[in-house]
Amino acid sequence: MTAAGAVAASGEREDTSCFQCHSAQVQEFAKSVHYDRNISCTDCHGGDPHISGAAVSVSAMSTNFTGAPARINITETCSKCHSEVTGVYKESIHWKELEKGVTIAATCTDCHGVHGILPSTNPNSSANLENVPVLCAGCHENQTKMSAWYYGIKTDRFDTYKKSYHYKALLSGGKGLATCTDCHENHNTRNESDPGSAIYAANLASTCGKSGCHPGNSAVIYGGKVHEGQSVQLLSIDTKALVTYFYIAMILFELVFTLGLVGLDITSKFDIRRRR
Amino acid sequence: MVELKFKRFTLNQRIEHILFFTSFILLAYTGFPLKFPDEWWSRWMIESVGGFDNRTLIHHISGLVMIGVSAYHVIYHILEKPRFDILFHPKDINDFLQQVKYSLGFSSEHPKAGRYTWKQKFEYFGAGFGAVIMGFTGILMWHPFEAMRYFPLGVIQIANLFHTWEAVLASLAIFIGHFYDEHLGKFLNMSWLTGTVSEEEMRHEHPAEYEGIMGSYAPGNPEMNVPEVRSNSSAGSIMIMGFAKLLFTIVFLAISTWMLWISYQVLVEAVNTYIL
Repeated sequence: MTAAGAVAASGEREDTSCFQCHSAQVQEFAKSVHYDRNISCTDCHGGDPHISGAAVSVSAMSTNFTGAPARINITETCSKCHSEVTGVYKESIHWKELEKGVTIAATCTDCHGVHGILPSTNPNSSANLENVPVLCAGCHENQTKMSAWYYGIKTDRFDTYKKSYHYKALLSGGKGLATCTDCHENHNTRNESDPGSAIYAANLASTCGKSGCHPGNSAVIYGGKVHEGQSVQLLSIDTKALVTYFYIAMILFELVFTLGLVGLDITSKFDIRRRR
Repeated sequence: MVELKFKRFTLNQRIEHILFFTSFILLAYTGFPLKFPDEWWSRWMIESVGGFDNRTLIHHISGLVMIGVSAYHVIYHILEKPRFDILFHPKDINDFLQQVKYSLGFSSEHPKAGRYTWKQKFEYFGAGFGAVIMGFTGILMWHPFEAMRYFPLGVIQIANLFHTWEAVLASLAIFIGHFYDEHLGKFLNMSWLTGTVSEEEMRHEHPAEYEGIMGSYAPGNPEMNVPEVRSNSSAGSIMIMGFAKLLFTIVFLAISTWMLWISYQVLVEAVNTYIL
């Protein structure tokens, strides 16, 4: 059954009248979890759907219709039902920056979508754990967005995450591996220097030690920043560079004297070259 | 026609070799897909062992087998009467230069190798060095949080770096060098199962050792089983051998291509990170 068909079939629903003009939005909405739970257009947008014909544009507007809310007001719409999680979100740096007037800071709809919101457990949801890296990278890899906010937000976070076991194992079909929100929190995302942040140094043991991740690791003495390449100096030389140079030399040696001699051995069997 | 057979590997050594190469192949098969999760073959290889969790389990068990065999090998040789013919000798440098000269066509003389050629010595110590590196770094990566009680995160990142490089180096050496030198080049070399080599192979591959043994040859020496009757090859078995060699060559070329691609990838990444 198509989305339009679904709408048409539920003749009793208010969104049928909205569909006549806002077909794209209603079609998208018909796939969402809100539609499945019998939420209607007016629950978010207000207005009166029981109006027909040319009167719509005038009468709908006069009945408390909100259209697309301003970014700062989106939380008000969502908190009508999701008050608890909106309260958690309002502790986050995203909300604090939005409140300060940084309008690009993430709010509910940036992660969850607008009309076609799916439960985060749905693999097609943009807020699904496995889709979260791409979702966050949408803003956090964007240098224009990040520098418009303030200088110092690093845009290589997804690139550095891609080198980690967490991401590689996730891509290889592993389950329950950490993505962005497992460490940084989904709603209560905070700056690393904030003592209430999940990634504040003193909180790392409990963040990493969540059940299902690395439980019982409160005794970690030495840590480090996972996104950064930690340098370990040996005789004032970066050990990683040292290891790399050593192995580049070894592999080149191996390629020349293994493949080189294998190649020469093969040609000598075919008598391609003249023997002295 | 009678033929002498020369003892090359004890049963103990043959079992060690089988355990070592089985674990090596399984480790490479379950390890490289995780390093390159974006590649088409990665997902395919992981699915072929029954998913990501099986991959991890096989990798860990094989790692323990390799550590076990390596430790057993060292302990066995400490307890055994010491032998020094595997150690490097100045003659190996001459043999190496002679082989390069021979391969390039500047000389018609093969180097006169003893019991172990210079390359076999390299492979032996390379495998030993590799097993130690892979074992220690693998255990650190297996239990990163236990490791972080004693080392900073940077040390675990270095362990990771070592693990990848050594895997690439060892796989190049084994899948290209060792496969060509000992198996494809000496097809069909069954000494890894029978433990003996023929007089012809002995004269050809280890002339110095052959001359040493024959100089003091006395019938009834338990190291040599004489006389041994060799069956004549029929036309049918030549066909089978030909197909077997063709099959082995195709597999060898496929694995070599794969290994060269992997080497190229890690070298490019290293050059981008540390040199450019």
